[in-house]
Amino acid sequence: MTSTVDTARSAGTPPPAARPGARRRARRPLSETALPYLMLAPAVLIMLALLAWPALQVLAISLRKLDLGELVRGEVKWVGFDNYTAILTDPEFWVIGLRTVLFTAAVVLTTLLLGLGIAVLMRHLSGWVRGVLQVCLVLAWATPIIATTTVFQWIFDQQYGILNKTLVLIGFDSFKGYSWFTSGTSTLAVIGLLVIWQAVPFIAFTLYAGLVNTPRDLYEAAAIDGASGWAAFRAVSWPSVRPLLTLVTFLSVLWDFKVFTQVWAIRQGGPDGESTTLPVLLYLRGIAASHFGVSAAVAVLMLVVLVAVTWRYMRLLVRSPETEL
Amino acid sequence: MLHKSPAQRVALAVFGLVLAGFFLFPTYWMFTTALKTPAQILSPAYDLIPTTATLKNFVNAITKPDFTTFLTNSLIVTLGAVACALAAGLLAAVPLARLRFRGRKGFILLVLIAQLAPLEALFVPMYLIMRDADLLNSLWGLLLVYVAFTLPFTVWTLRGFVKGIPLELEEAAMVDGCGRWGVFTRVTLPLLGPGLVATSVFSFITAWNEFLYALVFMREKDKQTLPVWLSSFKTAFGTDWGGIMAASVIYAIPALIFFLLVQRKLVSGSTAGAVKG
Repeated sequence: MTSTVDTARSAGTPPPAARPGARRRARRPLSETALPYLMLAPAVLIMLALLAWPALQVLAISLRKLDLGELVRGEVKWVGFDNYTAILTDPEFWVIGLRTVLFTAAVVLTTLLLGLGIAVLMRHLSGWVRGVLQVCLVLAWATPIIATTTVFQWIFDQQYGILNKTLVLIGFDSFKGYSWFTSGTSTLAVIGLLVIWQAVPFIAFTLYAGLVNTPRDLYEAAAIDGASGWAAFRAVSWPSVRPLLTLVTFLSVLWDFKVFTQVWAIRQGGPDGESTTLPVLLYLRGIAASHFGVSAAVAVLMLVVLVAVTWRYMRLLVRSPETEL
Repeated sequence: MLHKSPAQRVALAVFGLVLAGFFLFPTYWMFTTALKTPAQILSPAYDLIPTTATLKNFVNAITKPDFTTFLTNSLIVTLGAVACALAAGLLAAVPLARLRFRGRKGFILLVLIAQLAPLEALFVPMYLIMRDADLLNSLWGLLLVYVAFTLPFTVWTLRGFVKGIPLELEEAAMVDGCGRWGVFTRVTLPLLGPGLVATSVFSFITAWNEFLYALVFMREKDKQTLPVWLSSFKTAFGTDWGGIMAASVIYAIPALIFFLLVQRKLVSGSTAGAVKG
């Protein structure tokens, strides 16, 4: 274990950034200088040993042929970029990749719009209605993913699902025994609904908290200036929610792009792989089929996509005066 | 809240309640299905509101062998992971928010990038590490994995919360003769309450829900956790819907209790951390 940590350290620690001005406050006793490092040590050790080190290994594995045989024998077989070539020349990968990006975009967009809408609505609701809405949101949020996924399967059940029963009851007889999982699109729609349903509460509460903290006199000033509801929202609410909205967008993209449990539990990426997304592909190639090298290549490509999508925001975050301070 | 006509008020309230119903429905349906008999569940009749109720599904679920073992394992691993992640996270968050030192930005970057990694992808190396450290089939091993999974988010969020506490408050306490430790325990820590709560919710949900690592790392039956238990209700012979819904309710209860305990602090807390990202 110790040796693992040491290797990870030398490999994973970014070089300390030399900053002009860092010296200005440097006249401190040694114990003071060491203090931040001591306090960071537990977190750094855990993250290097259990995140950075495995991540580097994934990078290495993506350049190896590693199937079950090699894994058991402990054999190391380097194949260069063969795994990447195999994946990138597979037309299926591009279809799945595009599908994952579109799915993420649709889910993130819907979640954010719904979350923002509910946050604004909560400010305008009277006491008890707001309470009821909040309790319902908390229930949706707190119900564990696996439990929720099971309930959704039951609601959408072909024969006995309450959704089909309701649709038949209100006159859509063609939904009797209708299967929601015969096409990839409708399967993904159900999965999307499930993900959105679970994600909206967090977004709504975070944005609501941002709105509540907006000083009320700003609204009064806007009202005196004759601003209508929409104009007041744009002038007063929007600036205070925007940084929060950027943050939750960033988090939503990260989370939704990597959604695995729900997609897998609903139909294992079926029918005929039509609802397979990149994390499912990663699981199928890796854990299910034991082509760990290929699977690692998929993981690295996923990371590349995520970094490309969030790059601007991360740079902004690292360069902002907040972090500079 | 601002000047509105009664009609507008009613319309808003109705709209709010419809939304509430949308978010409540799956939970409601889980609970009522758990109360139904197998015959009722598989009857074609329209049964949005349950007419009869039985607790048999719950009794069956709880009296399944090993239920208490799985529950205890889940609680140990989850609560342990939350406590460790909060401790290590807070320890790291304070210097990140308050002190300047070399390598600080590098660390923040590490924390950010750590959140990008798909955890399913770390599976093989993680397995090898746990095997070499002799931590397979050990609750400690699983606990450690969950700490690692939740730590980046914990550090990042807590750092924001610490920054949200006005420095003047801490300085005032210093002037009043508090030592560094005194300032931390008497000023910083109490003000961090909501932040710690909001962060712990995230760790709790992550650890409580985790299925894949729990399934593969815990080969021995007496070391398995509740998500694995829940999946045991689906067999090749079909799904016992009443049973699995009852099990889901039982599985959701600890998470729900945890939530209700902290919910009040959550709303006041979630901005401070988030804004300062």
